[in-house]
Amino acid sequence: MRSAPEKNPRGTSPRRARGAKSGIRWSQNWSTVRHSADSDSGRCLGVGSFCSMLRKRNLLTTLLIVLPWALLLTVWHQYPATRYLILLRKETEANATAKARFNGTSPLREEGLPSCSWQQASGVSPKVIQNYVYSRPPPWSDTLPTIFVITPTYTRPVQKAELTRLANTFLHVQNLHWVVVEDSPRRTNLVSNLLEKAGLIFTHLNVESPQSLKMNGSRIPSHKPRGTLQRNLGLHWLRDSFNNTQPPEGVVYFADDDNTYSLELFEEMRYTRRVSVWPVAFAGGLRYESPIVSPAGKVVGWKVVFDPNRPFAIDMAGFAVSIRLILERPQATFKLEGIKGGYQESSLLKDLVTMDGLEPKAANCTKVLVWHTRTERPMLGNEGKHGFSDLRMEV
Amino acid sequence: MKVKLKNVFVIYFLVSVIGLMYALLQLGQPCDCSQHLRSASDLMHGKDKKISQLLSEVKRLQARGKDSELEGQALPVIYAITPTYARLVQKAELVRISQTFLHVKNFHWIVVEDSPVKTQLVSELLAQSGLRFTHLHTETPKEHKLKESDPNWLKPRGVEQRNLALQWLRENRELSEEGVVYFADDDNTYSLRLFDEIRSTKRVSVWPVGLVGGLRFERPLVEKGRVVGFYTAWKPNRPFPMDMAGFAIALQLLLANREAQFDMLAERGYLESSLLQSLVSIEELEPRADNCTKVLVWHTRSEKPKMKQEELLQKQGLGSDPSIEV
Repeated sequence: MRSAPEKNPRGTSPRRARGAKSGIRWSQNWSTVRHSADSDSGRCLGVGSFCSMLRKRNLLTTLLIVLPWALLLTVWHQYPATRYLILLRKETEANATAKARFNGTSPLREEGLPSCSWQQASGVSPKVIQNYVYSRPPPWSDTLPTIFVITPTYTRPVQKAELTRLANTFLHVQNLHWVVVEDSPRRTNLVSNLLEKAGLIFTHLNVESPQSLKMNGSRIPSHKPRGTLQRNLGLHWLRDSFNNTQPPEGVVYFADDDNTYSLELFEEMRYTRRVSVWPVAFAGGLRYESPIVSPAGKVVGWKVVFDPNRPFAIDMAGFAVSIRLILERPQATFKLEGIKGGYQESSLLKDLVTMDGLEPKAANCTKVLVWHTRTERPMLGNEGKHGFSDLRMEV
Repeated sequence: MKVKLKNVFVIYFLVSVIGLMYALLQLGQPCDCSQHLRSASDLMHGKDKKISQLLSEVKRLQARGKDSELEGQALPVIYAITPTYARLVQKAELVRISQTFLHVKNFHWIVVEDSPVKTQLVSELLAQSGLRFTHLHTETPKEHKLKESDPNWLKPRGVEQRNLALQWLRENRELSEEGVVYFADDDNTYSLRLFDEIRSTKRVSVWPVGLVGGLRFERPLVEKGRVVGFYTAWKPNRPFPMDMAGFAIALQLLLANREAQFDMLAERGYLESSLLQSLVSIEELEPRADNCTKVLVWHTRSEKPKMKQEELLQKQGLGSDPSIEV
């Protein structure tokens, strides 16, 4: 910074007349300049001296005038972020929530078609009201995080029905990738055809559970972990697919084929950073199980009755994990051996996150967006021992 | 003090230097850019989503414009009549089927509650569903209502409600309007292809139903494009041995026969026949679903969720928050 030392001789010498050499020289120059200016033009003193100064001390004076402004401009030019940040600070304070949501309304008129009035939701409880979208599924967006849904399934009479209505639900969700893992030695035609016709982005895998873990038709051992191998295969596939390439932003959700999911749930989980949690209806013998959220927005406990001492007392449908976290911890899988009923979720989550890393969703865990429904086994008594209906018709 | 040029320059330099120092100090401050950038990127995500949704909306409107040019008339409206009653899984069931119905064009959902008043749960759900709907309600008289311990087949269910819906249609629709009426129970599963098959009904159309009547499926028997009998194992001597989900009736047929309705006192399994008898004969039935060889609808039922822990808690007065709707 050259202007500062320059300042002193010019600023102080004319007044105090210390007799410093440079100071005298400068003042002499000033007076000579002024004299010559008078002889040159009959104009105002300041302007004349200015013009002559330009001629005389051309380089130095222009440099001194221009220097601070040039420095200022280069500094501002190099760091446009500063300008941007100041502007942004104002903007983000106005929009309290970072997520901008859609809020479409359809009038309560019984007759009329839903009208399209789009408003942007502000803050607290964003509602997702779908207006009819004829294009199914919604077009893929390159910036929206992907939701990978892992669904283990096994052959039984209601399988096609369950997968059909699940597909009907998923067709409304943007950027969804359905990973269906069959409990079977081969990929069945039923599931393959269903997935191809559905129109979703999907991956079809299969792995057979050993006899000891298989679901029998007669008994339903609710304490034995089911779908474990299949979910692990889904995780394995994910880790394989994104081993070398840049992983997309996204989240992994374990969706069983008999539960009921609202469309709002998928938007809540989409922006998960590590692990997000929410209440689940009809789990654990209660109307709903839910995490306990402190006023500061952190998960501090579990509002459950069935074994509340579990590290993560939550149902499979009650949490979602970000892809980044899954890929960071390749050893995190569901454990098979020695897992009591209700501890399957904990066997995965304990390797991924601690309690204070959980993100509560669904309005701080006060809304129920997923129901742990179960479908009755249909009474097929009239089929008899040898079957009655035509086996060629797929049901 | 005289206004000398050198003073002016002195002041000028002082000001410039002070300005520059200030700017540099600003830069030196630590800034938590990550949060701002993240929120900025979240905003971008939101805007992106908005753009893609607007694009799909534009596409839809363009498609609709094209459709109405190509087809002279609009598609016949499908009226789905769903009787429902309050129980734990009610909201889940209605959410599930509304997600299926959202895919169907020209769809009108008639929901009839078994209740003396319109409940808030159903009203809000319908308002948020994005569907065209009609919300009705009527209470089943006590003597015809099932008790908690009764098996579900003991008394016919949903009769009053379906009849109310038929009455509403007769009062609010003209013979000139094209439409098809389908009785869609809230716990069944419907594939999207089914609605394409329903839409072309001229009088009464029929198709197979999966997982019903103790069989993998029940279906009409078809020869040369006509229904000649029924493939069923339970009470096959009924006039129309079908399930409620296995047929659809043209709106005009119902409007022309204003007295046709379900008989409350019908014997078990004869409910469907009590309506269809007065409308159509077996020869006039129209087979759908590839001559009744494909199953497009399943008679699923949901288990009653186990509330053991909830009941225990409620005895202690520590039941779950009732203001949280399930």
